[in-house]
Amino acid sequence: MSARLEIDRVEAAYGGTRVLKGVSLDVAPGEFVALLGSSGCGKTTLLRCISGFVPVASGAIRVNGTDITHAPPDKREMAMVFQSYALWPHMSVAQNIGYGLRLRKKSCAQIAARVAEMVAMLKLDGLAERNVTQLSGGQRQRVALGRALAVDPQILLLDEPLSNLDARIREDVRHEIKALQRRLGITTIHVTHDREEAMVMADRIVILDAGTIAQVGRPEEVYNRPASAFVASFMGANNAIRLDLARAGTKLRVASGPHNRAAELPHDGDVDGKVTAHFRSEAAKLSLPGDADPQGALALEGRIVQAAYPGGFWRYAVAVGDRQFMVDDERRVEVGVNARVVLPAEALHFFPAEGA
Amino acid sequence: MGPTRGVSVLLIFPALAMALALFIYPLGYSLVGAFQDKAGVWTLGNFVRAWELYRLDTLFTVFIVGLSTFLIAVISVSIGGYLTLGNSPVAKKILDWLYRWPLFVPFIVAALCMRTFLGRNGMMNNAFVFLGFMDQESAQSFLDWRGIVITFVWKQTPFVTLMVAGAMAGLDRSTIDAARNLGASRLRVLLEIVVPQIRRTLAVGLILSFVTMMSVLSVPIMLSGQSPSMLTVNMAWRINSVGDYGTANALGFVSYLLTGLAAWFYLREAVRDKQQGLTR
Repeated sequence: MSARLEIDRVEAAYGGTRVLKGVSLDVAPGEFVALLGSSGCGKTTLLRCISGFVPVASGAIRVNGTDITHAPPDKREMAMVFQSYALWPHMSVAQNIGYGLRLRKKSCAQIAARVAEMVAMLKLDGLAERNVTQLSGGQRQRVALGRALAVDPQILLLDEPLSNLDARIREDVRHEIKALQRRLGITTIHVTHDREEAMVMADRIVILDAGTIAQVGRPEEVYNRPASAFVASFMGANNAIRLDLARAGTKLRVASGPHNRAAELPHDGDVDGKVTAHFRSEAAKLSLPGDADPQGALALEGRIVQAAYPGGFWRYAVAVGDRQFMVDDERRVEVGVNARVVLPAEALHFFPAEGA
Repeated sequence: MGPTRGVSVLLIFPALAMALALFIYPLGYSLVGAFQDKAGVWTLGNFVRAWELYRLDTLFTVFIVGLSTFLIAVISVSIGGYLTLGNSPVAKKILDWLYRWPLFVPFIVAALCMRTFLGRNGMMNNAFVFLGFMDQESAQSFLDWRGIVITFVWKQTPFVTLMVAGAMAGLDRSTIDAARNLGASRLRVLLEIVVPQIRRTLAVGLILSFVTMMSVLSVPIMLSGQSPSMLTVNMAWRINSVGDYGTANALGFVSYLLTGLAAWFYLREAVRDKQQGLTR
């Protein structure tokens, strides 16, 4: 049975350092929520508060309305998958998976049946009696997942469970976990610093910054409509330029600057004055001498200083003043050629400029 | 280019000579002496005499050292377990600071302290009488096998705890959290998750303690004058009072067999672990 999880103004500290500063979050039954943020933002601390390993200084954590803020970890009916797998090296695969059931005083037959079910579900056939130290990283991760799921927990907690796997296996396990979660309908909280992992797996993404929630939303929301410059940068729009804007009906007039001509952009948002505009490399286009002048877009005058072929397209580093922006294009262009970085209105995320 | 063979031998020679002169030669001499009479004739007579006179003492020694080893294991795991899994940081700090003290007390001083502590009119009984737990008439002396066990446990527990607590602190903490998370109580985590992972360290500590206790003379002499006594006391008696090196060597050989047996158990386990691919 999946559960509703409520996190109500939770604060936590290590020594005198406040790590969580009043975090509130409501997770619906069966929802998959990813806690995303850079190192030290408090995402793991929040997960450990939920699991009971880090004491909550103030605020409350409730599961289906029951306050569990100060309940010990072993009384929370949650199961956690750890970054290091945390498998017990003195036990076999079957013993690891069945341990939680043994704690719940299930009969040997029940344990054996459930372990067999987990082994089959997680494609660990033939490995049940093997010692966990003899398994590969991917297999260990499956055992850790099986151990957590075997007890049929109300809430599944995933603490960067894929970060120790190599890239190819990580993609497979990512989809397997997501499919499994959807099939079992279990409420899941997933901590990660990998943006793509959060986007692919989660129903909602919670972006944490310095112990507070910077934005909560569906993956496409936080990706396309970042609420702050921090979220925009974190979600990949980490190229930033300062612009002077003036609203004119449904358009924005961009004043000319040292590296751009004046331009008019179709935009109906609430933006005006001095702003910082963020954009992703893949959303920018390259305009070369001889190309038609871009219409309804901002163009930055620059010069190609580096070229690389990652596969399928060329990636250029374009120097604009003292800044460099990465732009992808299918054409092969020599280094040193003058080029313009063309930014359509939909590629730009505007935020009030700091100090403006 | 590395040093030549001659230089290598020269470099290890001082250490090798020390080991040969101070360890291998006396040990070999003693072992050979166990199988010879005073005239140097090969015989099993020393073992026959040792068996006739000291078989009860041999069992007594095994019982005392075995019981002490068991108690040391229980207490050191308990202390290490609290230091690893305990809730109160203050209690952990105090325990961490306190438990090491007996490490720095020599056996002879420990025995002396225990004489004044465990005697009929010793500090322990006086404290119990003062607290009203018993009256003076029912006070009894612990200066017998119980005193030896208490002293051994008091003296050796810190040593094993030091090793055990160190190994526990070195465990991947998430293996402990994983068990707690699944619903295991602290005691179950200690017995089913922590101890199995540090069992080799525990075994090494206990075997070293076992060997140490087998060789202590001062404690049984000072705490228990009566018969039966420990093999070390018997050996000292055969040499100092009777001048019977043969029987003393035979008893030494028996001691060596007992400690060798403990080491064999450990090595067998270590090899089995290695075959299973366990690294810890």
